[in-house]
Amino acid sequence: MRTNTTLRAAIAGATLLAAGGAGAAFAQDVTLEYWVYSDFAQGDALAMQQEFIKEFTDAHPGVKVNITGKGDDDLTAGQVAGAASGNLPDVFMNAQHIGAQLVEVGALANIYDKFMALPEDVRNQFDKDALATCMPKPDELYCLPYTGFGSLLFRNLTVLEKAGIDTTTPPTTWDEWFAQMQKVKEAGMFAIPDETLVFNSIGEIYATSGNSQTWGFNWDNHTTRIDEATMTKVLQKFVDMAPLNTGTSRNDQATKDLFISNQLAFHTIGPWVNPTYEEAAKSSGLKYDFVLIPGDTAGKTGGVRSYEIVGVAPGPNEEVAFEFASFITEKTQMARWAKLLSRYNANAAAMADPEVSALPLIRVSVEAAHGAMDLAAPYFVDTMPSCYNSTVIDYASATTDGEYTPAEGAKEMIAELNGCLAQ
Amino acid sequence: MSFRRYLPHYLMIAPFMILFAAFFLYPILSGLFYSFHDWNGVKAPEFVGLGNYDRILVSREFLRAMGNLFFYIAITVPLGIFVALGLALLVDSFTGRWANFFRNAFFMPVVLPAFLAATIWRWIYAPNFGLLNMILGWFGVPSVNFLNDTGSMIYALVAVDIWVSAGFNMVIILAGLKNIPTELYEAARLDGASKMQQITHITIPMLGPVLFFVFTYGLISAMQVFDKPWLLTGSSFTSYGGRRNALLFPVMDMMGRAFGGVKFGEAAAYGFLLTVAIVFVTALMFALRAWSERK
Repeated sequence: MRTNTTLRAAIAGATLLAAGGAGAAFAQDVTLEYWVYSDFAQGDALAMQQEFIKEFTDAHPGVKVNITGKGDDDLTAGQVAGAASGNLPDVFMNAQHIGAQLVEVGALANIYDKFMALPEDVRNQFDKDALATCMPKPDELYCLPYTGFGSLLFRNLTVLEKAGIDTTTPPTTWDEWFAQMQKVKEAGMFAIPDETLVFNSIGEIYATSGNSQTWGFNWDNHTTRIDEATMTKVLQKFVDMAPLNTGTSRNDQATKDLFISNQLAFHTIGPWVNPTYEEAAKSSGLKYDFVLIPGDTAGKTGGVRSYEIVGVAPGPNEEVAFEFASFITEKTQMARWAKLLSRYNANAAAMADPEVSALPLIRVSVEAAHGAMDLAAPYFVDTMPSCYNSTVIDYASATTDGEYTPAEGAKEMIAELNGCLAQ
Repeated sequence: MSFRRYLPHYLMIAPFMILFAAFFLYPILSGLFYSFHDWNGVKAPEFVGLGNYDRILVSREFLRAMGNLFFYIAITVPLGIFVALGLALLVDSFTGRWANFFRNAFFMPVVLPAFLAATIWRWIYAPNFGLLNMILGWFGVPSVNFLNDTGSMIYALVAVDIWVSAGFNMVIILAGLKNIPTELYEAARLDGASKMQQITHITIPMLGPVLFFVFTYGLISAMQVFDKPWLLTGSSFTSYGGRRNALLFPVMDMMGRAFGGVKFGEAAAYGFLLTVAIVFVTALMFALRAWSERK
């Protein structure tokens, strides 16, 4: 069975390279500009990217690929400004929730026809849900989903043991989890970061009660999909958690420091924090694990999911740029990438590779991504106004500060969000 | 005849005028044009009249950003000058290598990249573990969440701002101090004036034009504050301003509208409003200065 899968993957890879070889005839002396996140252009990740580039350029004589790492905002600003000035990179990464902005300014080519021309085996490798998020309409495809995440609950086992909590079984419901948070605080330690400070962490807690259908946007009438009753419940959770939190956001270095120094029990965040904690485990004996974020009922999970995307710019290099994009997102490359960094990605076939799925972080991440709520769906339809995220954060913080009751906060927030989206 | 006569002069100022027109005048005028249009940077601009201005002026973010800006300016500009003047007087009282040492030490934050300065300060301000909270802890003060507590965030920013700008202002004031004739101090000493009297009756009046420059420059810089609050709050194009927008400022809002919301017309209107405000304040400063000199 495994031999069969490997053989199919090898054939699919060879087909891609062969297709690339055919493309090489019209892609002589082309230099592709390839923009990636800055952490993809450092250390082992860069070495792996360069390996992919070498394999691709060896199969495509005359094609050169320049890789450039950029920070989140620099990627977006560069792509938006590049679209305006006609100086776009040929292949580039960005976050899924920035996709609509990039479509609006014409930075992303519709690659549907090219994708459909790929061998069926290759097309079927992608996670269907992830691929669907790149398709605002049946015949429009604006990205290939690349790496991704589903939020995880990192647990400091030392803190939990000190608080008298049995760590062998993770909490399965919100009530169980909250009871543990209270025990941690009673033992004189912090339970959780302030989840109201960052849009993603608000989403993570919202997902413990809500789902993708009650989060995100109704673009048909430009209203929010946030459900008032669910948000009321979630704002109450923030109020309840307020005395237990660190006062720092999930992204702050101070939060990681508290976790590493055994003063913080729980940290809800993506898998990218794991290398830091892994290093702390080696150097200072940090005892931790990662589990699913529990939802209101057993079997339901909290957390958000999102993907980094690979997009192709419209223009004369579009063909060969797509070949490169499809090459780096193909199973063989994505499995190597996953094994190297233990990072979840949108190539379901790569995730199912026994060597990959055996990695603990990948195993939990796959489950987390499938149970999590989409961060800002539907994607690629319309541009989220700049007032949206700040409104959500504002009302969550104001309710936690006692300025509104949860019911008032939810009502006001939704009214304000609808006003923001109507602009 | 006169054109030919002055041709060399025109040629000499031409490089500046060309660069000025290309990189200053043209962007301002095109910004003004786009401010009346709905424009995403790529598609053809669509005329919307004063729609962009209207949307900005009634938005919650604009009102919050302006409120924050006034409060920030009211503290950071006078306090910044006060600190810079103090440092300049301190450095001026030293001679030789110590004067050089202090001048360089106080100037160091000016040359530090903003992201590095913000990283240092995020570490200093961190709750529980941060340097400042450790020091406060020695005196029994509980941990303060400087960058997330809405009551302390703006003061945390002011401290960083003064730390960065004081060195620059100090150098300018120092140059002004060197130009004050020493005879004035000698005469004051003979008349029995104390050090404080010398400062208030000689130093500060003689530094008038320098302090005016430092004040005006500080005011203009403060109105354009962007990088420090952006970095201190870990902002991005889709989420900026920190907890409850306590560190939201106009340029941040403008950037968010441009690159987060892809509304370049709206961002251009924002930029134009800000430009008008800066020009107005600067003109007012010069008018007040001229009026006080005439008096």
